[in-house]
Amino acid sequence: MDYLFAVLLSSLSSASILLIATIGLAVVFGLMGVINLAHGEFIMFGAYAALTATQQGVPFILSIPIAVLLTMIFGALVEILIIRRLYGRMFDTMLATWGLSLALYQCAVIIFGTVSPGIGMPQMSIAIGEYSLAVYPLLMIVVAASMLIGVYYLLTKSVYGMKARAAIQVPHMARAIGINSSNTNTLTFAIGCGLAGFAGAVLLPIVPATPSMGFAFVIKSFLIVVVAGPVTLAGSALSAIGMGGGASVISSFMTSVAGDIFFFALTLLLLRFYPLGISSRWRFKL
Amino acid sequence: MTFENLYKSFKYSLPLALVVMVIAGHGAMDPYLAYVATSWVIFGLLAMSLDLVWGRGGVLSLGQTAFYGLGGYFGAVVAVNMAPVTGNSLIWLLPAGALFGAIAAALVGYLIFYARTGPLQTTILTYTFTLVLWTLTQSFKLTVGDAVIGGDNGMSNIPGYILGFGEGAESADPNLMFLIVVVISALAYLGVVRFMDGSFGRIIDCIRLDEEKAELLGYDVRKFQLYNFLLAGGVAGLAGGLYAGWANYLNPSIFSVQEALLVPIYVLVGGRGTLSGAFVGALLIGGVSFWLGGGAIGGQTTLILGITLIILVMFLKKGLLGALDDLCQRFLPDYNAAARDMKPVEVDSAVVSKIMLDAEAVAGPAKSLQSRDLLKRFGGVVPVDHVSLSFGPGTPHSLIGPNGAGKSSYLKVCVGLYPQDGGQILLGDQDISSLPMYERVRAGIAVKNQKPQVFPELSVQENLWMAAYSMSREPEKAGEVSSAILHMLGMDKQREVSAAVLSHGQQQWLDIGMVLCLAPRVILFDEPAAGMTNEETRELSKLVRLLSQYVTIIVIEHDMEFVRTLDGAVTVLHQGRLFTQGSIAKLRNDERVLDIYLGRRAHVQNL
Repeated sequence: MDYLFAVLLSSLSSASILLIATIGLAVVFGLMGVINLAHGEFIMFGAYAALTATQQGVPFILSIPIAVLLTMIFGALVEILIIRRLYGRMFDTMLATWGLSLALYQCAVIIFGTVSPGIGMPQMSIAIGEYSLAVYPLLMIVVAASMLIGVYYLLTKSVYGMKARAAIQVPHMARAIGINSSNTNTLTFAIGCGLAGFAGAVLLPIVPATPSMGFAFVIKSFLIVVVAGPVTLAGSALSAIGMGGGASVISSFMTSVAGDIFFFALTLLLLRFYPLGISSRWRFKL
Repeated sequence: MTFENLYKSFKYSLPLALVVMVIAGHGAMDPYLAYVATSWVIFGLLAMSLDLVWGRGGVLSLGQTAFYGLGGYFGAVVAVNMAPVTGNSLIWLLPAGALFGAIAAALVGYLIFYARTGPLQTTILTYTFTLVLWTLTQSFKLTVGDAVIGGDNGMSNIPGYILGFGEGAESADPNLMFLIVVVISALAYLGVVRFMDGSFGRIIDCIRLDEEKAELLGYDVRKFQLYNFLLAGGVAGLAGGLYAGWANYLNPSIFSVQEALLVPIYVLVGGRGTLSGAFVGALLIGGVSFWLGGGAIGGQTTLILGITLIILVMFLKKGLLGALDDLCQRFLPDYNAAARDMKPVEVDSAVVSKIMLDAEAVAGPAKSLQSRDLLKRFGGVVPVDHVSLSFGPGTPHSLIGPNGAGKSSYLKVCVGLYPQDGGQILLGDQDISSLPMYERVRAGIAVKNQKPQVFPELSVQENLWMAAYSMSREPEKAGEVSSAILHMLGMDKQREVSAAVLSHGQQQWLDIGMVLCLAPRVILFDEPAAGMTNEETRELSKLVRLLSQYVTIIVIEHDMEFVRTLDGAVTVLHQGRLFTQGSIAKLRNDERVLDIYLGRRAHVQNL
């Protein structure tokens, strides 16, 4: 019984980690219709920013906002220099961000080398019966939930959020009523990147910063967003918990390869029945 | 020989000339250059497979290196085991590679196209496929006979290109390798270009331009997309087999993102959709990085390539061949000029009757269209609310009703553009409710949507031919039918004009012509008169009345004068339901019909 509970809890934590890595991608896709293939590298950017900050003596907790801010600024630059020029050209945007992904990867190799020191995980654990679980990964459940709630409130209750949703739904109408949709899009992209930076920083104790960490993350994040469909935020949350959590449960009882196979098989199955994503028929729109 | 003919022959003559030059100059190249250049040609072949899928098919696949790598591995496994027996290695390496690449592409393509995932999802899924293979192959270890796939350590001892048979046959030297690869790639290129020049390629082009219209013409879009994907997978697998023999060694890096990134770069540099551009791009990038030093394995290649891709996407949209093509266009005659002296369409009843009788000889007698309790819901809106109607030939049917009455939705449900949520649709005696759209079209139902749908890059004649070919699947017959319709539309002189330059009204006529090319037994027109002049509307009315003698025809129109001239049966829809039916004279005196059009309250509420 304790074992089952421990497994469920740690699976929920793995699913939350996946969700944390995915939310930024989902926001950009949902609000701009842009798939950012460099999303993984923005996570890496955040991780290295936080790592460098802690190496300079900044406490880890403070290095997180620094990483978010830096990633947001960098994201805004990328939007202004590249993404903005490719609006309406979906494939071209993907290719350009893909090029960016590779360029950033190589930059990281040049600057930081291929291996870098991790930072220690806070040594705290809780006991469930005879099983002991580290607290930090469990904390990620709370972090993921607060990220979701935060983004939801940002998009529904703030003026920016309304503008952003107006700008993506009917861009020319939004412009006609005086919304500067390109500024809004820059901010949206920056927020998406900031969320990626946050993910990189907050996950740093669990996932050490390496130049290739982005590739590892994005595979599952992309699939989550694709399976989620048009209602990106709620859809991503649901598919991250379902697919990521399910895969994690399977890998606790069997092997991690079995967990991965479950994940990919479930993706294919879901896409067979919901080719445009599980949320394509939902009436709820966020 | 005019410049025009010369221009049209370029895609065959120029590559052939290059191959002849390579054969003539055989042995003269520096062996090292020949060795390296061989790989550029192989990459060109790989890039051509992407251009097939992306440039022609309109689907961006980031999985071409996956099929290439799988083809390479499989070809190598077969060659390692079989080449010592026969001597010759190419007869194993290449067919096995191409076959396995094609099989893998067919599996992936089946999942993607038959699930009808969106374009974005398709790209992501192919990219994921590559990434997953990259991860899995790192630890994948397998021994098949003499072949050892060693995960990270890769697979070595792959035989080179051995041409001779028997015991003593030896591997080709670099110059001969180059020659072999050039000849094989040229054969593959010419075969693919020739194939794509035929009806298959035209259908693929139509799917890229307008997938919905292609299916409305009765083409099984998914099947053609799958075949195209399979063909491209085979080409990629062939390239993989060539690569395995060239390198004598394979490892998981063939599936790496860096490798995959190069493929769209080659295509973009050369020019998308040209097929030959893939080779131009690969040779150019290979050559430049070779002479700049470092080759393809130089230190910061990834960084440079990443930035190159961004710049290419942003600034060089058409690629080198695209730019050259624009230059050539200036010296070609401008067929579109003929669009200016297009005469208004005049419907000749003798011509129309002949066309309709010919169609009847092929497609059989007219069929009726019936809906029973048909239901379509969009969330809380119910545009088709349990509608039971029946239409037959002999008199034109008009479907009228105020905006939002559900007229267009009704047509779209009948043809299968919207899946119905309940009820039945009968075409003649056949229940077509569960058939996909293209099968309904093939069964004899044809629709012209509100917005004219023509393939803009195709000429007027080609547009009609595509429709006619869908029915007969015989090029000559399609030519005859489309010429007859072209004549009926009075567009003989405009046959070479591209459909994009036609006016809205002319596009309407062309779209109507395409519908007639399908020899339909039931015709659905959604606002055909929109954008037409008064004269043209008169001719259209005459055409509809003529057609109604041979087939069942249903017209949605807001132009009441037009509906009056049709002098047929009128059905009024209101809020998704059947409101009333009758002749236009009767309905004109029906207060309730006037009420729903004018929005007078009293009667509307008492519905």
